[in-house]
Amino acid sequence: MTIVIGFEGSANKIGVGIIRNGEVLSNPRRTYITPPGQGFMPSDTARHHRAVILSILKEALEQAGLKPADIDCVAYTKGPGMGAPLVTVAIVARTVAQLWGKPLLGVNHCIGHIEMGRLITKANNPTVLYVSGGNTQVIAYSERRYRIFGETIDIAVGNCLDRFARVIKISNDPSPGYNIEQMAKKGSHYVELPYTVKGMDVSFSGILSYLEETVFSMLVEITERAMAHCGSQEVLIVGGVGCNLRLQEMMGVMCKERGAKLFATDERFCIDNGAMIAQAGWEMFRSGQVTALEDSWITQRYRTDEVEVTWRD
Amino acid sequence: SSLDVPFPSSREANIALRSLSPDREPRKGGISKELTVSGSTRWSADEARILRVSVDSFLDHLLLVLETMEMFGSPVSQ
Repeated sequence: MTIVIGFEGSANKIGVGIIRNGEVLSNPRRTYITPPGQGFMPSDTARHHRAVILSILKEALEQAGLKPADIDCVAYTKGPGMGAPLVTVAIVARTVAQLWGKPLLGVNHCIGHIEMGRLITKANNPTVLYVSGGNTQVIAYSERRYRIFGETIDIAVGNCLDRFARVIKISNDPSPGYNIEQMAKKGSHYVELPYTVKGMDVSFSGILSYLEETVFSMLVEITERAMAHCGSQEVLIVGGVGCNLRLQEMMGVMCKERGAKLFATDERFCIDNGAMIAQAGWEMFRSGQVTALEDSWITQRYRTDEVEVTWRD
Repeated sequence: SSLDVPFPSSREANIALRSLSPDREPRKGGISKELTVSGSTRWSADEARILRVSVDSFLDHLLLVLETMEMFGSPVSQ
């Protein structure tokens, strides 16, 4: 019975999660939400995480009904992500690992998402679409690596949506993407050119529907291409943008056409959380990996395929 | 010049050292810092501003380590 605690804070969400043999015992999380029209900056985000991390840690232990002595290993996000927030979280993880005398595990954030998706959905060997504010990748597992088949050549799809939300000052609470989705649902027709003026009034929901339809179609296309290359019959969507029901719907249509199965998780697990780091840490730990303190530095760049996936064949 | 940070015990000083030393300095401003075993720190930098930010950040992180230690108990004896 291995109990792993995981710390995540690479972007504006700070979460601590505890997993025992594939069961999520607790997974509290807080989000740093900025006013409409503003994105989140590294030092402000780090300050937010710094202010709440110890109480979230306490909450995680209390909700799980555990004492520090019950924890077997400490997992944290090594990268990728924003530097200052990553450091803040890593410092706490390193400190408790030493205080409690437990091994430390530096986890790749993307792999945290993948392993959580696999745990929750029980997908066997899916083509993975990882879409969030910070990342957009199509990933397939092969010979001990999560291979990146396709990715954004510039910004993540979530970043595109978030920046758009900023321009038209949509609220960031609970997240800009969620609010885009709700407003886009009210758009009733797809406009070829996103320029909708009605007399003295303007309409923006059509633009948002247009935006979603276009970026999501692009993602469905590259996912389908990866599936064709791998002969895969499963798709798993992970990452914050994976919460979007329209994306799931569009992916579902493609999967149905191919006779493939679609897997996705709900907002508890597709949005950044501590338990996903714990889960990936657990997989690493039980296949013999450990991170020495001297090697526990965080890194803003950390590709998904840099990690040796020792826990899969 | 150097900054000396006192700790209740050498075990705690070591924990702090090992929690604070792994990450590299973020900027290429000629900043370098050297943490030593006795719990003291030595900085060198090309610009005063960069030094100030680095020291500021270090002290903040050190405080975080101390708060963590306070909340989550004394080190488990080996």
